[in-house]
Amino acid sequence: MTKATNLRLDYDVTILPPKSFFQPQNETLLSFQRGKGYRSVIETEPFLLLGVHPYDMVAITQMDEIFSQGNGDVHYVSRRQNATIVVVDVENVSPDVFAGHMGTYKVEEGWDVLLTKVADQYLVESKTERGAALMSSLADVPDADQGWLEMRQLVWERNKGRLRRHELEAEPSTWPDLLEEAYDHPIWEEKAKLCFSCGSCNLVCPTCYCFDVRDEVHWDLVSGERFRVWDGCMLVNFAKVSGNLNFRKDEAARYRHRYYRKGKYVPSKIGGQIACVGCGRCITACVAKIANPVEVFNRLAGGR
Amino acid sequence: MSKPKVAIFDFACCEGCQLQIVNMEEDLLELISVVDPVEWREAMSDHRDGYDIAIVEGSITRHEDEERLQEIRSHAGMLIALGSCATTGGVNKLKNKFDLNDVKRCVYCDSAHLPHLNTALTKALDEVVKVDYKVHGCPINNKEFAYILRCILMGKKPFIPNYPVCVECKMKGNPCRYEYGEICLGPIIRAGCDAKCPSGGFWCYGCRGYVDNPNVNAAKEIMAQYHKTIDNLRGRMFLFGSKQEQTL
Repeated sequence: MTKATNLRLDYDVTILPPKSFFQPQNETLLSFQRGKGYRSVIETEPFLLLGVHPYDMVAITQMDEIFSQGNGDVHYVSRRQNATIVVVDVENVSPDVFAGHMGTYKVEEGWDVLLTKVADQYLVESKTERGAALMSSLADVPDADQGWLEMRQLVWERNKGRLRRHELEAEPSTWPDLLEEAYDHPIWEEKAKLCFSCGSCNLVCPTCYCFDVRDEVHWDLVSGERFRVWDGCMLVNFAKVSGNLNFRKDEAARYRHRYYRKGKYVPSKIGGQIACVGCGRCITACVAKIANPVEVFNRLAGGR
Repeated sequence: MSKPKVAIFDFACCEGCQLQIVNMEEDLLELISVVDPVEWREAMSDHRDGYDIAIVEGSITRHEDEERLQEIRSHAGMLIALGSCATTGGVNKLKNKFDLNDVKRCVYCDSAHLPHLNTALTKALDEVVKVDYKVHGCPINNKEFAYILRCILMGKKPFIPNYPVCVECKMKGNPCRYEYGEICLGPIIRAGCDAKCPSGGFWCYGCRGYVDNPNVNAAKEIMAQYHKTIDNLRGRMFLFGSKQEQTL
């Protein structure tokens, strides 16, 4: 890019979420020499993510919590510590977004700088030292007065209303309780009949973080690398274990599991936050059009 | 460790998968540092008897071929099927959709009656003999071939995807071919190709064959959503998906 005006901060949604900057699709964890030992590999350097949408920022803060629990994931955490994030409030509405229902149409935490297009200008706020350092490079920029801040508030209010391409009737806070009663609900079988087990919904999801760990050796058959790659609970071999056993071998069991992860299991690990941010990427990505969380939770809320 | 002896054989095919091995270029030196090729018509002029691993390309289309393959199998401790023709029957299975006499006449015209042109229904290798490993694709991905071979030499089970091409296509960040109004076989076809065709702007032709349990029924059901017919889908599956299990 040669000119700032070429920067399309008005994009509606990206095909893949920004998670690959923190959890690459293929990430070397260690290199080894058979019989001699191994060395951890942590490859990261400072970087700036520019133009993250609020719902994706919410997802990143959820992943921050997940990956730092217990012993913490040094690979994720070191990447995250190296990141400076500039969030931009949504300007154009993507085809399937429902962030307006999920409380993720705006975001107050996690970012270093927030950009909001107000009238024809961007209102810039920094929240961290890194953000302040970035802002200090802006010369001759006037401070925003109360009027501008009020106009930004209006942008948020407007986004709350328009980022609703699907009408969610089941308040997100009710999802864990709905799922409590839904394990045998017929919807899982009905939807999963058309499931290709292609994992598209997992791969494009900003809060899907599961991975598989594999080893590969070089031609000397002695040295090699251990790496992790993105995995997905909708893939048939995801829950396959030794002995050729698979504890979620049916499409319906896998399909159900994904919604339980979003609405119940992951929330129970991160203080009740629903692990769906309403970006709508799964809705768009699903070839069979069965992956709409709004449809699923509305149905659960409506009984059988 | 003594290097295992490897022989590469071909049956009905274009030999393009062997060519992909030749195309490993500098890595060929690495390859022969771990195996000892004793027979490889496409790349070697000399040949020695006896081998531990047979790598077999092509599909079985004549009765004589069945016997030859059985002979190869009887000498080999391990047999690897190389490429679509060998792993699924590949494009050669198109023949099985037609009357064999018509096929012969179509290809050989006036010579069709000659005895050496006798033909039988196309078979993948595993319809004739036990196959230990399959390297899928038309052509194969030579990096995957090298990886599988290294795993075998390590006594380790190689990871061969049993998920659809969509996985790799999504990871590439491609917009879905269905959004362009095309029928793509990606949702039912085995990945491992790195979604080369969809990334290059084409639908998936299905060269790696179906995943173990493809949802062919869903593929049919969604045609209406995309204003297509089941015949459109059938046409798309014709090239690589003819006369395989689970096909239309």
